[in-house]
Amino acid sequence: MKKKVMAIAAGVCTLGMLLSGCGGSGSTASAGNVITAFNSEPQNALIPGDTNETGGGKVGQLLFANLVRYDSKGETKMEVADSIEPNKDATQYTIKLKDGWKFTDGTPVTAESFTKSWSYTANAKNAQKCSSFFSSIKGYDKLQDADSLKGDEQLEGLKVQDDKTFTVDLNSPNSVFPIMVGYLAFAPLPESFYKDPKAFGEKPVGNGMYKLDKWDHNSQIVLTKNGDYKGEDKPKNDGVTFKIYTDTDAAYADVQAGNLDVMDTVPASATKTFESDSKVEAYNKAGSVIQTFTIPAGLKHWETSTEEGQLRRQALSMAINRENIVSKVLNGVGTPATDFIAPVIPGYSDDLKGSDNLKYNESKAKELWAKADAISKYDGKLTFSFNADGGAKPIYDAIVNSVKNTLGIDVATNPMPTFQEFRDAVSQRKIEGAFRTGWQPDYPSPENYLYQLYDSDAADGHGSNDGDYKNAEVDELLSKAASSPSADEQNKLYQQAEEILLEQLPAIPLYYSNANGVAAKGIKNFEMDWQNQPIYENLSK
Amino acid sequence: MTDINTTLPGQERYVAPLEETPLQTVDTVDESAPATSMWSDAWRTLRRNPLFIISAILIVFIIFVALFPGVFTKTDPNYCTLDDSLEPARPGHPFGFDMQGCDVYARVIYGTRTSLSVGILSTLIVVAVGTLIGAIAGFCGGWIDAVLSRIVDIFMAIPMLLGAIVVLQMFRTVTSIWKVVLVLALFGWVSTARIARGAVLSSKNLEFNTASTALGSTPMRNLFRHILPNSLAPIIVIATTSLGSYIVSEATLSFLGIGLPSTTVSWGGDISNAQSILRTDPMVLFYPSVALAVTVLAFIMMGDAVKDALDPKSRTA
Repeated sequence: MKKKVMAIAAGVCTLGMLLSGCGGSGSTASAGNVITAFNSEPQNALIPGDTNETGGGKVGQLLFANLVRYDSKGETKMEVADSIEPNKDATQYTIKLKDGWKFTDGTPVTAESFTKSWSYTANAKNAQKCSSFFSSIKGYDKLQDADSLKGDEQLEGLKVQDDKTFTVDLNSPNSVFPIMVGYLAFAPLPESFYKDPKAFGEKPVGNGMYKLDKWDHNSQIVLTKNGDYKGEDKPKNDGVTFKIYTDTDAAYADVQAGNLDVMDTVPASATKTFESDSKVEAYNKAGSVIQTFTIPAGLKHWETSTEEGQLRRQALSMAINRENIVSKVLNGVGTPATDFIAPVIPGYSDDLKGSDNLKYNESKAKELWAKADAISKYDGKLTFSFNADGGAKPIYDAIVNSVKNTLGIDVATNPMPTFQEFRDAVSQRKIEGAFRTGWQPDYPSPENYLYQLYDSDAADGHGSNDGDYKNAEVDELLSKAASSPSADEQNKLYQQAEEILLEQLPAIPLYYSNANGVAAKGIKNFEMDWQNQPIYENLSK
Repeated sequence: MTDINTTLPGQERYVAPLEETPLQTVDTVDESAPATSMWSDAWRTLRRNPLFIISAILIVFIIFVALFPGVFTKTDPNYCTLDDSLEPARPGHPFGFDMQGCDVYARVIYGTRTSLSVGILSTLIVVAVGTLIGAIAGFCGGWIDAVLSRIVDIFMAIPMLLGAIVVLQMFRTVTSIWKVVLVLALFGWVSTARIARGAVLSSKNLEFNTASTALGSTPMRNLFRHILPNSLAPIIVIATTSLGSYIVSEATLSFLGIGLPSTTVSWGGDISNAQSILRTDPMVLFYPSVALAVTVLAFIMMGDAVKDALDPKSRTA
């Protein structure tokens, strides 16, 4: 379920969805406190478990309320669930629902609304795109042979206790399950869905903040406020109308002219100008994607476990002028990194101990390098490998120049033609030098960044710890954090782990890719969340 | 009857006596003048061709720049700092800076050597290999000619750039300029071979050759002493013209990112890097492009002039 950010083509069904683009442009002007928003035509019918691209995902998230919800800061909050209690080793969860939740057709949201929906999506017979999301639940494997299934078999790991309670048995301990259930694919479905899934996909019935009014294909999707919505954060507008565009330039022109209220992307032709454009409200802040480069933990002279290696890594990191790279090479659509997660993720901090190691400091870099040379003389050549098909070349050219000018050592870029070739070389551990890494989270938790990238469990090809960094202290802090009950406590432990990472620098953080978008003048509360999407429910005129 | 030989009044014709006509001077051959060869004739024609003079001056200048870049700039073309990113021209840096903050003037100057060495080395290899194979094919004839000509046909069918891309993909880790030189030569020798074969064919049955054979020359001696020197003209013409196209090919390959490594300063690579900022800062792309265009133009003009001198029949104007 995890994936590398550099793969623009995401794996199956993650919340950071595939960007699609098709359809025609709508033109009706909005009235009252209804927000018009840019969108592309959803690729599929609007069924939560079958939606894996942003066009449909944006709409689905407003139509359905899950067990939990990620708020604007990325914190996970109970939504339909009253409580999600793990057993001792986090292999079984008992989920209790709140009272009073209803679908917009009037039927109540019960434990079965969830279990049947999840089983339906997991069942291979139904060929839902997000099926693999449920692979951690017991019985998933038995539902994968489409030929021998009827489509209504249930996951044996889901057991309904009563109307408002059910239990989930997992194949292995999983402390982030309560966060995962915030994915759109985990949405509940009303009984009416199973009678005619196809018709349902055209006019879905949900329990979310909004309900679907009408869907004019390739033109617009009209959502109106759901008066029966039981959640705590009520929408601040009366509805959201998604206008379907094929051309981002046309949409941008509409925002300038006031015909479109909000847009969650900026066309390439406007990336240099949108922030100074007086006709629009620009948003350009760090998103959840972090860009780093990794030096294999065992590389000679660069070992994370020796003082020499740590000094060299720190010197290298301090030799890179991130501010300059962000402003001059990226034209300001990135933010210099100060930690190992991202500013929109709970637990982010810009003044952790050791965050100075991520700041450009010419004299200190030289000093540390000289110290490392005193331990063992360096006469090698450091190469930076990256995929040349993703526009990373100017960034790595700038890094190489920065390092060369500061430390005076022999460094060079090593572009590889395609992403695939590059990743193959990384996963076969063929790269003897630094290589490009990056991460887009699947859910807003430091765990998703740190465990996946720096825990020993994820090393040696078992995960995304491509540098094979192993540190028992980090492992311990991470596992402690995963099993600790309070969010504050967790974040503290994650930050302690990050401080070790900042000292040893298994990967060197560069910058956070910015989320950017524009809104028409006069739109209030225009902000984007950790998925780089506008928080539609908070927008108002 | 009137005598037809009688000249009637008004019918007298005047014939000048021989000593009064200039015919003799026109027809006289100055026997005291030294004998001229085809080469000296060509040289005489060339000297008077303004195209040649201009291109020769340019080429001499370009070669000088390539040999002694330090005379023109003291700036290190590989020193780039983002502090200077896209800064305009200032004293000591007449062309300004590119996005990475490298001095554009210094890079244009140092790029000359790369382009020129690739062009000249490729041409030398192409001429050597192409002439040898073409001459053998033309001279031996028979099955050897048939086999070699088919090989030439096969290579002819591969577009040079496409072939170069495929081969270079396999040797991406090699960073020497020889990789590009050899690839260009690999796909470039065929046209030279064809022309060499044609020239050898047409001169191998000429009288001087027969005479030399009659005097006891071996075929090999004939080939190298008589046939080849007399076939050189078209080969020299194509070599000069294609030198320009090899420089362009090198730039193209570097532009595509499979030519020279990015650590080598080259015009193609710089043009490639500048394309992303073409709309906002076109001058960064302008200077290396002009340098490339002028260099290629100089060699092609030179080729044209040499062709006019060596092969007056093909002259178009």
